[in-house]
Amino acid sequence: MSIHKHDYRAYTGRVTPVWTRIFVLGRYSLAEAWSSKFTTVLFVVCLIPPIGALFTIYLANNPAARLLMGNVGPRVLAIDGAFFLNVLTIQSWLAMALASWIAPRLITLDLVDNALPILLSHPISRFGYVLGKCVALFATLSIVTWVPCLLLFAYQGYASPVPWAAANLRIAVGMFAGSLVWIGLISLLGLALSSWVKWRVVATGIIFAAILVPAGVGAIVSEVLRTKWGLLLNLPLVAFSLWQRLLGLHDHVDELKKLPVGAILAVLALACCLFVVMLNKRIRAREVVRG
Amino acid sequence: MMQQAGAGRRRDFMQQPWALWRLQAKRLTQIELRRNLFSWRATWIYFLAFIPTLIIFIHILFNEHDASSFNDDTQVLAGIIQLYYIRLGVFFGCLGIFSRLIRGEMIERSLHFYLLSPVRREVLLLSKFAAGSAAAVLLFVTATIVDFALMYLPFGAAGRDYVFNGPGLGQLEAYVLIIVLACLGYGAVFLLLSMVFKNPTPGALLFLGWEAINPVLPSILQRLSVASYLRHLMPVDVGAKGFIALLTVETEPVSGLAATLGLLLLITAVLLYSCYRIRTLEIRYTTE
Repeated sequence: MSIHKHDYRAYTGRVTPVWTRIFVLGRYSLAEAWSSKFTTVLFVVCLIPPIGALFTIYLANNPAARLLMGNVGPRVLAIDGAFFLNVLTIQSWLAMALASWIAPRLITLDLVDNALPILLSHPISRFGYVLGKCVALFATLSIVTWVPCLLLFAYQGYASPVPWAAANLRIAVGMFAGSLVWIGLISLLGLALSSWVKWRVVATGIIFAAILVPAGVGAIVSEVLRTKWGLLLNLPLVAFSLWQRLLGLHDHVDELKKLPVGAILAVLALACCLFVVMLNKRIRAREVVRG
Repeated sequence: MMQQAGAGRRRDFMQQPWALWRLQAKRLTQIELRRNLFSWRATWIYFLAFIPTLIIFIHILFNEHDASSFNDDTQVLAGIIQLYYIRLGVFFGCLGIFSRLIRGEMIERSLHFYLLSPVRREVLLLSKFAAGSAAAVLLFVTATIVDFALMYLPFGAAGRDYVFNGPGLGQLEAYVLIIVLACLGYGAVFLLLSMVFKNPTPGALLFLGWEAINPVLPSILQRLSVASYLRHLMPVDVGAKGFIALLTVETEPVSGLAATLGLLLLITAVLLYSCYRIRTLEIRYTTE
């Protein structure tokens, strides 16, 4: 029978649920992100501070070890909210470095090679595409942020000679929530900027610049105009202020630099909205043909 | 024998086609300069350079300027130069400008046109460096001068007196020198990084981290940093505050001339190595 006798008809077999298709993109994105040796190197670097923190917790809870160190006072090796805030801060900066390396790998090539129309011709929406990329980033960044933080919390709960975990549950919840906010922010930032920059080489630098330069500009605004509102441009500081509150450490904040929770949440929401708009503008099934 | 060899080398040196190289360098510099200053891609460098100017302008319009805020404004200006321009503005500006000169052309697949033309590679590299430096210096020095002028303009006679009869003009000269050296120093480093690495950004960010932690390193390691030389040239001290101040290693004071020469030496060494690298530079567009 010749081929023209066949009629085309819709596929009638079992269709995969829509929500699982996102994970297909996520899986391939993860493979792409981890295909570089530098990702592995960066990931290993990200795990060094938690190992140091683990050792500190061990020392703090081991009387023999403390005796060997000259019986340092409990304040020197205090395992409290401030300790976990420091761990979270360090891990968040490292997560940003990891995101600035991975995010351009996930999205730039699709755009530069005009692969987006082909990808979006599959039964997946633009939202699903971005979500799939976010899944890959979320999975990778989680391993360096809230996962080690909560493991350290669990170890402190286990190693402490007195009941500790239940009394400090707020720290764990705060670290988890704070990490989720940060991961969401830097994932959207990374994907949005990567979608606007043609070169992957440049995208990594621009992601860092987009965090550090507004922070510097915010500091200038604060100093020149003698106002604390310039600090709202400093996204790491805004996130840090939120973490302080989530971990119950807001009493330690300098009154002059204390930002209201409403302003913090508004800035974070505004930044996320901006990144979503940027993504919406660029993630479209169109082909750029240069003559 | 030694004298003969020396004379021979001098004769070879004089017989090089210097006029041709100068002409080629001039043309290449003009092309790159136009591309760095007058393309829409360069707008973000204008933003980096002139955003403090805009903020100071708003300060002029909306804030009062009495004698009590004079010293504060001097400190703020020093902070803008040392902490914003050197650490962020010039750093990221030069990263963008100088990474594009070689690596950008490789990505755009246009570098081979230069390499196939009868131009010595060293001339090509140094012309590109000169163009990048000129663009960065022009933008950031202009911004610094305008910032300085706007900062003292609202103080009227007191401001004029401070600038022309006091230490003001000397401070401006020091700031301009610092910005010029920062552009040259960062430029040389980023030009080399863009030739050595396929993606120079991680290297540049490591360099940024190195520059940031440099004040707490031993004095011998502080010499391998651009910012440490520039710190010695600062006319107004903007000391570290808080925890960082405890960790800061105070090195012996270095004279302005020694710091300038030290940094110029570092730039020359980096450029010489870049010239050596570009002689063996190969392009494989399939792997870019």
